[in-house]
Amino acid sequence: MPWPPTVPLYPAGQEPLPPGMTEEERPQLMQAKKYQDWMAMGMESCVAKTVLAGGGGFAIGAFFSLMSASFAYEDPLLRQQTQTNLNTTQKAKEIFKDMGKGMWRSGKGFGKVGALFAGIECVIESYRARNDMVNPVAAGFLAGGVLARNSGPKGMLGGGLAFAAFSAAIDLFLRRTPSDDED
Amino acid sequence: MSFLGRGASSSNQGGMNTEKLEMAMTELDMVTDVFNRLVSVCHSKCINTRYAEPDLNKGESVCIDRCVAKFFEVNKKVGEKMQAMGANATAGGGSSFGSL
Repeated sequence: MPWPPTVPLYPAGQEPLPPGMTEEERPQLMQAKKYQDWMAMGMESCVAKTVLAGGGGFAIGAFFSLMSASFAYEDPLLRQQTQTNLNTTQKAKEIFKDMGKGMWRSGKGFGKVGALFAGIECVIESYRARNDMVNPVAAGFLAGGVLARNSGPKGMLGGGLAFAAFSAAIDLFLRRTPSDDED
Repeated sequence: MSFLGRGASSSNQGGMNTEKLEMAMTELDMVTDVFNRLVSVCHSKCINTRYAEPDLNKGESVCIDRCVAKFFEVNKKVGEKMQAMGANATAGGGSSFGSL
């Protein structure tokens, strides 16, 4: 490797080909590289991050609701008045329908939280052009405020502060200096 | 006559080649210099030296886009200003600064 490191300048159409590629494949390579760059740019955009976080939140919410449904108990006397004389299949279908509704509701809630937080944080980071702890704290505050919008101003303030503290804790954990043992 | 013509043209060509070669080399040096300055300025401004992950995160890539755009903008404006100064200097009868 030459020292001091020099700029790898090549004439426009003559960048070095990867090993094993011939000169005739250059236009295809350039096009493939162009599509790859667009894909990467799309994955790093704020919209993609919001969608991914919303989807992940939905999945986590549905999973938690599924797990908690196994601990659910109910009062048989309460149910008897609405439906009587159902055979086992219909009772099972009713139970699964309730479980599905619970999963959908909980997934929607978590999905909203994830999408809001990720979207706001991405927008703030794009605006400030810096990556530090201010972004997740401010995004947490705004997301908490939006999620608590039905509880009045004091509720919004409290919710915002709580979510900001929570997201600060999570991001401090994610940004911790890795231990020196391995990796 | 063909000999003379060919001899003359080849020497002319040699002269043009050397001149163009010199110009090309100077231009390459200038381009490399601009590139190196750009890289060092935008690196010191935008990239946190705590190298936690190999990829640029969103803030850093946005910062680099803006830094490069501003650099070239400023480069162009300064170049235009200096050209105007040089033109004024030569129009005004020259100065110790000389034209750039």
